[in-house]
Amino acid sequence: MKIRAVAFNTFKEAIRDRVLYLLLFFAAASLIFSRILALLTVGDKTKIIMDAGLASISLFGVLMAILMGTGLVYKEIDKKTVYTLLSKPINRLQFLLGKFFGLMTTLFIMLGVMSLIFIIILLLHSGQITWKFFVSIAFIYLELGLITSVALLFSCFSTPILSSIFSLSFYLIGHLSWGIETLIKKMKPGVTKFLTQVVYTLLPDLENFNFKTEVVHNLPIPPKIFLFSFFYGIIYTFFILVLSMLVFRRRDFI
Amino acid sequence: MGLKLITDQIPREKVPGASIIYIPSGKYLKYASFGYSTLLADLVYIWSIQYFSNTSVPERFQYLTHVYSIISELDPQYLDPYQVGALIAIYDAREFDTAMEILSQGLKKNPEQWIFPWQAGHYAQMILKDYELAKKYYKKAMEIPGAPPITKRLYSNAIYELGDYETAWKNWLEIYKNTDDERVKKIASNHLYRTKAAMDIQKIKHALKKYKDKFGQFPEKLDSLVSQGFLDGIPQDLDGQDYVYDRETGEITTAVIPWKR
Amino acid sequence: MSEAKVLEIKDLHKSFKSGFLGKKIKILKGISLEVKQGEIFGYLGPNGAGKTSTLKCILGLIFPDKGRINIFGFDHLSTKAKQKIGFLPENPYFYDYLTASEFLNFYNQLFQKQKTENIDDLLKLVGIEKSGNTQLRKFSKGMLQRLALAQTLLNDPELVLLDEPLGGLDPIGRKEIRDIILKLKQKGKTVFLSSHILQDIEMICDRVAVLVNGEVINQGRLEDLVSQEILFTEMTVSQINPRELEKFGKTLTQYGNRSLIKIYDPDKVQEILQIIDEKKGKVHSLVPRTQTLEDIFVGMVKQK
Repeated sequence: MKIRAVAFNTFKEAIRDRVLYLLLFFAAASLIFSRILALLTVGDKTKIIMDAGLASISLFGVLMAILMGTGLVYKEIDKKTVYTLLSKPINRLQFLLGKFFGLMTTLFIMLGVMSLIFIIILLLHSGQITWKFFVSIAFIYLELGLITSVALLFSCFSTPILSSIFSLSFYLIGHLSWGIETLIKKMKPGVTKFLTQVVYTLLPDLENFNFKTEVVHNLPIPPKIFLFSFFYGIIYTFFILVLSMLVFRRRDFI
Repeated sequence: MGLKLITDQIPREKVPGASIIYIPSGKYLKYASFGYSTLLADLVYIWSIQYFSNTSVPERFQYLTHVYSIISELDPQYLDPYQVGALIAIYDAREFDTAMEILSQGLKKNPEQWIFPWQAGHYAQMILKDYELAKKYYKKAMEIPGAPPITKRLYSNAIYELGDYETAWKNWLEIYKNTDDERVKKIASNHLYRTKAAMDIQKIKHALKKYKDKFGQFPEKLDSLVSQGFLDGIPQDLDGQDYVYDRETGEITTAVIPWKR
Repeated sequence: MSEAKVLEIKDLHKSFKSGFLGKKIKILKGISLEVKQGEIFGYLGPNGAGKTSTLKCILGLIFPDKGRINIFGFDHLSTKAKQKIGFLPENPYFYDYLTASEFLNFYNQLFQKQKTENIDDLLKLVGIEKSGNTQLRKFSKGMLQRLALAQTLLNDPELVLLDEPLGGLDPIGRKEIRDIILKLKQKGKTVFLSSHILQDIEMICDRVAVLVNGEVINQGRLEDLVSQEILFTEMTVSQINPRELEKFGKTLTQYGNRSLIKIYDPDKVQEILQIIDEKKGKVHSLVPRTQTLEDIFVGMVKQK
């Protein structure tokens, strides 16, 4: 399958990229650092290891998604490798999807490695792993999918630096959704309020995918949230990919 | 390089505690943490421990409530900080109200945690010797499922200390009946003994007073109280022993110490 | 069968927006041409004429404002069309992190039918069989160019589109590539060759189109465009007094005891040879000069 061929190539590109390993190194370092932090706290030491661990996995996952995602299409256009590629019998949609799935495969493996390190550190510290941890990781992966698709979209028409800034802003605003909602309530009706409402509706609420608190305090997760967040994530990602396709379809490669 | 050494040696005026002035309220901090609020709570907590143990900052306890409310906003279910905050408030800052504030915040966010009202009752009893308050908190703790049995005992003891002997007796009787544990039974029975003694002694002393008012002095024997009609009968302690009467002072005491029965 | 139209472009227009104000610049102003089966077609023009843009339109890398392009009768964007073509871009660049074999394998998977056994043969054909497992970041420019040719031929295409294929190669490389192109013709393939180097075109093309400023100003068989008339003959001789040769033609230069003469009248050539023979002189070279493509080209460009 052609998408798989492009995906595999993208995966190879990512896995041979030194930046990825640099990030992985920092992720591992911060996971280990959490053990040191635990020494400073009074009371439950496992909590801080879990908090720092999950935060690291989440943060570095996002950084990987953004840093690699923003180069996905841009590099091909900039280096003109896209010329020979698209002169073959492959259409632009297959190309985009291939790039997307290639990076998602890489992220899957990276998440796996980080999770493994986390589990080892936690077990060494006689903590416990619940199934909720894996749910949380799964939703981090879903969130990464969304962010990757956004990075891909920007990669189709913008340079890596700008794309990274936009993607990062998207991520940050996504987590501020609650704050924006409160802001809207306090605003006087008018154009600004309307615009803010538009922004609020358009941008996703990324907190939907954040189950870190539940894992750390071992709180129950209602199944409704599962399904809702899951479909929300999938549909939104799909929506962004469609947008990318529209942008990319009739683009001239001068 | 040389310049750096010189700069290092210039003594810098460090205003200890200056960094804390600009910390915003917890609510806003939560928004600024982008989904990492539990981690931020941990970090603030660790920082706070170091900060509040730094004796060179005399007014550091000004911000005790503020800092711990921040931690609470960021991660309401993080239990350690509430307890440690209250601890610092009681032992270092000597501010009972602050401690109570922190503990009630903990209870509000975590209604299933009996430890918070329990701790509050404990501090009320131990530090303030305020049994009214202690009773209130122990009651709260008792009502939360999972509270240990000793809570009820502490509660009943507080009632006793407040002088409400009838209720105390009722409670201790309940405790005595509802346990199979020999040790607990012994404790309960000792408390029952003490409570009965208190009630009896109160009754006797009341009669003694009336006698003294009438006759100007205490009677030779307690029997006189009965013959004069001030008492229906001489009560005996729980074990059936007589109470000890000191004619000189008019004091009634138990023949034995309750805990040494 | 040899009259079948492999590539047909009809009235192709394309303009680009340039600068902040978005001024529209017309790159292609109505191009029409036909490439027939089995021929080597030259697409000739100065830099900036629009040759590469035309190729990009053919390949679906840019989208024309107006016009039609058909490949083997199919719309140029269709998969059926792309199955049958191979494209070699100018200044090719490929994925640094792949090896040559990995790269060719990857592209191979993009076709409907895969022919994996060809990879080693292809590498041998273009002369880089020893570098199959070398990462592309270590390839020299020449090697990249050869690899580019290899990827062009992956699917055994019926139509091969080449954009400045001989640029940047040393003379041996140029000969090798030329030979490969001729071999393609022998096999019955069609070649579309875009270049601004006239000698390349002259040597191997059957038909050409000349593109200047976005318009095709001339199109046809090479012989038809270039007259076979001999303009003059250049001769290098020695051991003859140059003054004796002057009545036949102009003496161009003299170096040492050799003279270079330019003779306009072809009849005079025989005469001069006789005289040289009598006087025991030596002829070092005799070159009849016909009208070259360069002459025509410069003339056409000047006209524009």
